[in-house]
Amino acid sequence: MVLALEQVGVAFGGFRALTDVTLSVAPGQVVGLIGPNGAGKTTCVNVLTGFQRPTHGKVILQGREVSGLAAHEMRRAGVARTFQAGRLFGGLDVLDNLACTGVGLGLRRSVAEHEASALLNWMGMAALESRAAAGLPYTDERRVAIARALMGKPRFLLLDEPAAGMSEAEAADLAALIGRIAAELGVGCLLIEHNVGLVLSVCTQVVVLDGGRIIEKGDREAILGSRAVREAYLGTYAEAA
Amino acid sequence: MPSQHQLRRRSAATTPLLLGLLLLTFVLVALGLGDRAIARMAAETLIRVTMVVGFWIFVGNSGVVSFGHAAFGCIGAYVSAWLTLNPAMKAALLPGLPEGLAAADWPVLPAAIAGGLAAAVIALLTGAAILRLSGIAASIATFAFLAMVNTIWANWTPVTGGTSSVVGLDRYITPWVALGWAFAAILVAALHAHSASGLALRATREDEVAAAASGIDRYRHRLLAYTLSGFFCGIGGALMGHFIGVINPDGFYLGLTFLMLAMLVIGGVGSLSGAVVGVLALSIAVEGLVRLEKGIAVGATTFALPPGSQEIILAVAMILILIFRPAGLMAGREVMLPARWVARRGT
Repeated sequence: MVLALEQVGVAFGGFRALTDVTLSVAPGQVVGLIGPNGAGKTTCVNVLTGFQRPTHGKVILQGREVSGLAAHEMRRAGVARTFQAGRLFGGLDVLDNLACTGVGLGLRRSVAEHEASALLNWMGMAALESRAAAGLPYTDERRVAIARALMGKPRFLLLDEPAAGMSEAEAADLAALIGRIAAELGVGCLLIEHNVGLVLSVCTQVVVLDGGRIIEKGDREAILGSRAVREAYLGTYAEAA
Repeated sequence: MPSQHQLRRRSAATTPLLLGLLLLTFVLVALGLGDRAIARMAAETLIRVTMVVGFWIFVGNSGVVSFGHAAFGCIGAYVSAWLTLNPAMKAALLPGLPEGLAAADWPVLPAAIAGGLAAAVIALLTGAAILRLSGIAASIATFAFLAMVNTIWANWTPVTGGTSSVVGLDRYITPWVALGWAFAAILVAALHAHSASGLALRATREDEVAAAASGIDRYRHRLLAYTLSGFFCGIGGALMGHFIGVINPDGFYLGLTFLMLAMLVIGGVGSLSGAVVGVLALSIAVEGLVRLEKGIAVGATTFALPPGSQEIILAVAMILILIFRPAGLMAGREVMLPARWVARRGT
């Protein structure tokens, strides 16, 4: 009962964004995906959510190959995602933003709004319901985007740099929220983050990408002790300097 | 205690009624003035409301500009003409009509509905191809569709009469008939906008990528709106034909396309009220300017604008609106009863 990539490769013309990537997320599990800029993290999420077709390999959802499904079909199959930029529906209010996912999943509008209201309550954001999505403060925007992705109880949630630009305290709140999503809702989460501290605090498994390949996989200790990881990160720092 | 969101939804339900009342007042005032020309202007304006509201169902909710909707008007007008024209006349004017159509002598109402349905079917079939494209590419394809329909209609002489006009349509359109259809269009547009499909379509307008990530099948919702939209533009075309009594393929080409776009832009594409207000504003302005061109007598002297100034003044007005009020007169807002009133009634 997992969401997985099996030996996935993605090539854009001559450029290989991903090579032979195999990873999996189980329900209730939080898997971290880290790596330097340009390592292929977002491409991984795009492949897992139907936004990018793999050039090689398979996407597997609950034992079934789903490599050819379109993005909206993957969402209906239970794989939700957020984006680096919040990408809320700016002209709609917060409740309608969530209701959009509800109707996208085939609910009637009133049912979708009811569920949206309950979900905002669960996340402690009931007060935002009638606010316009455009112009929300940054952290609220991120949280609404997560709420929108949680509509219809997806089995998997892929978070693309949800903590980018957050303060330490805000990132800690986010970590707690991700923990609740996994524990209380049983959703399997894949967390892409640059904030390695955040990833190590909530993830039981971490996958490290560099140059489109997995260079390390394992629990916190394995990652902290890995030479390959240190080199990948130090390498980028060296290049940057 | 209902939330603000629910109150807003309830207020929004009053929009079609208020717009209907606005149009009713417009008709009563126009008829009250007792001037035949003004009564005709009112009927023509309401026909345009039907068309532009139909147009808005697709453009307003999807955010995709269409240049093809005048073609649906063309289809609606000709289908209604084929079904209602006197068979003897059709035998002379349109010898290529298939037997069923050649012999048809339908009452006007079912013929108008058939015109709308024919336009809707064509919208469904062409939309199935066009709406696979995204954004601007789809817009360009709708323009190609408009040109194709015009070329076919101008050259399929035995069936359409070609570039020479088809005459003798029953002129049954009174301001009241036009008001009925305009209100029907407004009601359907409002129901669609409030439906799950309407909301999903607006999500794709706001952000296509996020909409896909929300499970929304953009293609399906666009195609539904396009078909519905085609229906009312087809109805509008049929009404226009029976209003003037004469139809010609060029009456449903670039001139009409840009008039519909101008009305939508001036009123504001962001709301249904914008579509209605845009038609009223532009139609009334044109009527006023035409009268000024003819001249107004004040005592012994007659003041008149030089001929042709109507177009120039309108162009300047449109430019000013685009500069100072780019979202249109209504700027995305709807006319609705204040939430306070609705709350009192609802609780």
